[in-house]
Amino acid sequence: MKSLIFRGRLFLTGLHTYRFTAAVLTRCERTNRSHGEQHDCCPQTSLTGGTLEFDPRALIYFSRSSRLLHTSATTPKMSEQSRNSWIKKDDPKLVSAKQKDFFVDMLDDRRHASDFHYSTRVRDVTTYKYNKPRSPKDIKDHVMQSDRVKYAVEKVMEESGLPLEEVMKQTQAILDEMAHNLRIGVIRCFAFFLVKVMKKLFQRIYINEEGVQKVRSLLKEYPILLMPSHRSYLDFLLMSYVFYEFDLPLPVIAAAMDFMGMRFFGWLLRNSGAFYIRRSFGDDMLYWAVFTEYIQTQICNGDSPVEFFVEGTRSRTSKSYAPKFGMLSAALEPYFKAQVPDIMIVPVSISYDKILEEKLYAYELLGVPKPKESASGLFKARNILKEDFGNVHIYLGEPVSIRQYSVTGNLDRSVHSLAPRYIVSLSDQEQHLIRHLSYDMVIQQQKHMVISPFAMIAAVLLQNREGIHLRNLVREVEWLKRQSSNLGAYIDWPVSETPETVLRASVSHHGNIVQITADDMVELIVEDPTITSNQDKLMTSGAQQLMLCLYKNQLMHIFVDVAMIAISINSCAQDTLHIEELKKHYKFLERLLNIDFIFLPGNTDKDFEQAMLVLTHTCGVVVENSHVQIRKSTNKYTTFFSQMFDPFLLGYWIMCRCLKSMQTGAHGKPLAKPPKVITKEAQNLSATLLRMGAFKHMEVLSLDMMNNGLQSLYHMGAVQKDKREGNTYMYPNEVVLSQIMDELSKFVDVPNIPATSINVETKTVVINAKL
Amino acid sequence: METKINIEARECGAENDPPTIPKRRQELLKWNGWGYSDSKFIVNKDKHVEFTGERYQLSGHTMPQLRDWMMNTIGINLDHRTPAQPSFTAADTPTPIKNESFIMDMRRTGISLSDDCQDRLFRAHGHTLHEIFVLREGRFDRIPDLVIWPTCHNDVVKIVELACRHNVVIIPFGGGTSVSSALECPANETRMIVSLDTSQMNKILWVDDKNMTAHCEAGIIGQDLERWLAKKGFCTGHEPDSMEFSSLGGWVATRASGMKKNIYGNIEDLIVHIKFVTPLGVMEKNCQVPRISSGPDIHHFMMGSEGILGVVTEVTMKIRPLPECKKYGSIVFPDFESGVKCLREIAKQRCAPASIRLMDNEQFQFGHALKPESGTIFSSFVDGLKKFYITKIKGFDPHTLAVATLLFEGKKQEVAAMEKRVYEIASKFGGLAAGAENGERGYMLTFVIAYLRDLGFDYYIVAESFETSVPWDRCLELCKNVKDRLHRECKERGIQFPPYITCRVTQTYDAGACVYFYFGFNYRGISNPVQVYEDIENCAREEILANGGSISHHHGVGKIRKRYLRQTVGDVGLGTLRAIKEYLDPHNIFGANNCMVGDPEDDRKVHNVPKKAFPQSKL
Repeated sequence: MKSLIFRGRLFLTGLHTYRFTAAVLTRCERTNRSHGEQHDCCPQTSLTGGTLEFDPRALIYFSRSSRLLHTSATTPKMSEQSRNSWIKKDDPKLVSAKQKDFFVDMLDDRRHASDFHYSTRVRDVTTYKYNKPRSPKDIKDHVMQSDRVKYAVEKVMEESGLPLEEVMKQTQAILDEMAHNLRIGVIRCFAFFLVKVMKKLFQRIYINEEGVQKVRSLLKEYPILLMPSHRSYLDFLLMSYVFYEFDLPLPVIAAAMDFMGMRFFGWLLRNSGAFYIRRSFGDDMLYWAVFTEYIQTQICNGDSPVEFFVEGTRSRTSKSYAPKFGMLSAALEPYFKAQVPDIMIVPVSISYDKILEEKLYAYELLGVPKPKESASGLFKARNILKEDFGNVHIYLGEPVSIRQYSVTGNLDRSVHSLAPRYIVSLSDQEQHLIRHLSYDMVIQQQKHMVISPFAMIAAVLLQNREGIHLRNLVREVEWLKRQSSNLGAYIDWPVSETPETVLRASVSHHGNIVQITADDMVELIVEDPTITSNQDKLMTSGAQQLMLCLYKNQLMHIFVDVAMIAISINSCAQDTLHIEELKKHYKFLERLLNIDFIFLPGNTDKDFEQAMLVLTHTCGVVVENSHVQIRKSTNKYTTFFSQMFDPFLLGYWIMCRCLKSMQTGAHGKPLAKPPKVITKEAQNLSATLLRMGAFKHMEVLSLDMMNNGLQSLYHMGAVQKDKREGNTYMYPNEVVLSQIMDELSKFVDVPNIPATSINVETKTVVINAKL
Repeated sequence: METKINIEARECGAENDPPTIPKRRQELLKWNGWGYSDSKFIVNKDKHVEFTGERYQLSGHTMPQLRDWMMNTIGINLDHRTPAQPSFTAADTPTPIKNESFIMDMRRTGISLSDDCQDRLFRAHGHTLHEIFVLREGRFDRIPDLVIWPTCHNDVVKIVELACRHNVVIIPFGGGTSVSSALECPANETRMIVSLDTSQMNKILWVDDKNMTAHCEAGIIGQDLERWLAKKGFCTGHEPDSMEFSSLGGWVATRASGMKKNIYGNIEDLIVHIKFVTPLGVMEKNCQVPRISSGPDIHHFMMGSEGILGVVTEVTMKIRPLPECKKYGSIVFPDFESGVKCLREIAKQRCAPASIRLMDNEQFQFGHALKPESGTIFSSFVDGLKKFYITKIKGFDPHTLAVATLLFEGKKQEVAAMEKRVYEIASKFGGLAAGAENGERGYMLTFVIAYLRDLGFDYYIVAESFETSVPWDRCLELCKNVKDRLHRECKERGIQFPPYITCRVTQTYDAGACVYFYFGFNYRGISNPVQVYEDIENCAREEILANGGSISHHHGVGKIRKRYLRQTVGDVGLGTLRAIKEYLDPHNIFGANNCMVGDPEDDRKVHNVPKKAFPQSKL
């Protein structure tokens, strides 16, 4: 007979009967059948109170939890307890690392049990109520025979004149390239190794279990879309791991074609549920049809939860990327066409203490060509298994019902009644709703990101680039922590440790970027000691700083709204600033930052009001008679917040500057260039200015920032687009561009470039040539 | 007084049997429920459900499984009753608005009329949940002020003329079986409202066996029409579920559909000629031809006019010789989906029998619960064997299987051939012939369901049916999605007991099907059950429209569905309808205000739906 303390979280199934005394539940066990699921109650026991029967369906089962608890817990004897016999460890400072707020560590049990048993255990999986079991092959067959594909095939035949067999062959090829081959056998093998890898890589993998429960209960009722944030390759491995762990059907995952190139890894992923989507397929009708049908049939039949990354690709900056809509549109279409009663979308936030690919990202942002993903590149590159990547937090957010989401939007789905559903496309209203939803989902992801102490260290350090004493760092980080927390961020901060210990641990964890010197100064490591080649020094130290930015960026979305106000306040030359004027600035900045940061479309006024409330209530901003009192309001808060965003404004200014200097072609119209060329040129300009010592923010070397700036300028009308031979070319609209530059220079100190090169276009050519 | 109006009494029409339904309907029929007073479901002293009376096959029988079924599926508790209010007296009815000069002129015509409060009350409603609930629990704000019983076409012409002259509202009344609130008097109507009861115009004026047509007065009710024609060896074959009480004129005015439309056609296929009295005069064609190309068909202004343009007085309709052979049948399918596929195939091959209906599992179980106590040990043994064969040997899951009920009509060898063909097709979809008895019980269910609802009312149940038509490719998903929506809306509204939701495909067409839903729930713990019911049904209708379904297949628009009419026919369509109304009836004499015509409030109500913004994220 074994007993266990009934703590907050215990997962059981099978019919267990518990006999309990005052505080200790003892579980009687006569048989423990093969999978540890069914237990009968043992009649002989002395400690009997009443009998509690648990409804097994109401609770979740972990085969491992019962096993673990049986081996680890020991029965305390009542007589030996001096006081409060229900307390097991008499230490108020004791903090469970396994159980942290609403998170629980998934790895903990794996560290105490057999991986083999784990990977071969029986999984009792819930499925969608209207699901008809199908194999991956059945799904493919369905796609080939579907009305949508047949229709597209006919169209293609008409247009190209190709015979049916040829077009069908093409279709089959597209499908073969795309389709997953989810096989439980492969999954089990994969699980076996994956768990070993995860245990090596991470200390703990936390998951909010309530979120899992919600997904489980919805799985039976409605098709599910999973929408994780995308910061690392590991995202989808982790997601599949979670679903394996919790006995949920394994998701099928929309992956980019890059992975397919990897020989073993590509195969492995395909067999564990990845399907491959080309990054862009424009107006390839056949591809569209196969892709749409392939996604939709799996949603309609609820074969598996469908997982995809709304950001489209891994974020190299740890900021959320602006969402892409194609995949979501395709996935939600079955609801709008009433093929399913509803679809549930689950935003998932995956936060890493330390990102596996941090260095790769930094070089990618700088424009050092990214090595093609290969299995060896992924796993051998940095002796990764020897490194410690800290904790991962996975938060399954509140599922969003597309029905409820669109009911309030007053959407009329009957517009699709007038043609077969495989022909008609979504209405403008529906597309608008999907855009809105996409942004909303990214915001939900952000909201549940877990902020690591290092993010705050990075933010402080980037404003004290020469280094900061540990004592001051502690003070600053504590301040920043309070601000973040006030703005709703969840911060991963061990309460049982002193702040200094936390910071030291955190810094040493990121020893490749920051260090603590002997006299307790914390500083950025400017030179990467591992790099021996004679690379450009600016670029290597830029990479170091960009890595730091990567972590600082975890914080940015929290502050962006208040910062956009703080920027106007801090840069205001007058004594007072009218609220409306401030709002105008806010709107301008929002449009400008709209690609780099995520704003809910149409919500600007509310965001502004909300941010104003925060600033006036907790950050000392003073408003009298609808006028912000600038002198009283310029303080540590506004200064810190606005400085966080300085590099972005500076970067955009450089982009403007670069656009301004573009060569004029015939008829006075600037020569159009491909966006890539323009961003590269802007980066070169940044580099020159950095070398000149005009400023110190090396973040402006990021091509990503330059490109986002360019896209923003395009949306604001300062840049125009041409399609030439299928490629995009861009050229500035001088008037708008100048206006934006003027505005920008009000908000941020811009470097003083020698007059000759500013005004005269011919001179600028010289500068460009020099760069 | 204009001389052209002849208001003298005049002998009307031919001699016929006296009307089955008397002028004082309440003497024969329930005043606050469905059907005959003598026939109702009761819980007898053994706490079993029993059907009283002698009229029906079920009459006098107990249904031993029904009580448990009701308790298990919908949470009825025999200790919790909600009996209806005992009676409606003069005190409960609003005082009539009297247009004295109209009444005086009416009296001079000699046409029978009454302002008795019970006569008026009986004609104030149809059989929607809302209306029956008012009868059981509340009172009407507005009921007709006078009931008039014309006995022939000319009487109607006179009545309409007088009503126009004195600005009196007419609401035509046939069998009173409307389920769209079409009979409901507009609450804000300040003029006198007259209920024009056609029940005394119930004669078959002639039968023409050369052209196989019969000319009948519009007040004739379905059962009389069939019974009297049968004496001469004919039938019309039009059998809506309400045929015991509903009238020919009512069928025309709602665009009715009959169970056996596969052989005989719907009302629009059966009609050869209509005589229609409007405020401008009589509208009719000058010939009785099988088809005509004469511009837009004026019959289509009359059919589905729901009492807002005029009143149907006489109809010529097709008749057929009585079928030699009539045979029920049934098919068991492993699930609803294969059943739908099979029906689709049968429709495609155009070999549907007189009636074919597919019941889902819930309805199959309902039908099963209606089985009367079995007479002999042998028959229950046979039942057991059947069940064993279907579930154990054939491997059908009793919780997913669906049943199609069939009715074949025609010559013996025709029926045999048709049966063979249908069962062959069915077997391709996993269907298994399951005997005539199951089929017959399925059809019985649709006749007794209205009686059964009255029993439910006594035990905290509100229930109603609604229907739609839908293209084949969206049929299955419509059923699923509407059910899901209903379940979900019930949950969100805090209904404590599992609702009863079931559907059947009741008609098949070349391009689609008719789907019929029953929906009911136990409202214990809810203070405004009717409101909640209506809200949920509206959600279901929205879902139906989103699924490519229609506003109605045969129940009509009336008042409860008029909010969906603009979406259905568009602004131009609705404008056309209103223009016709404006021409025929500029003073809104036929002022029942159905179909979004007549009531200026309609536009405001529909247009003021607030356009909510998108939901905000909780950030």
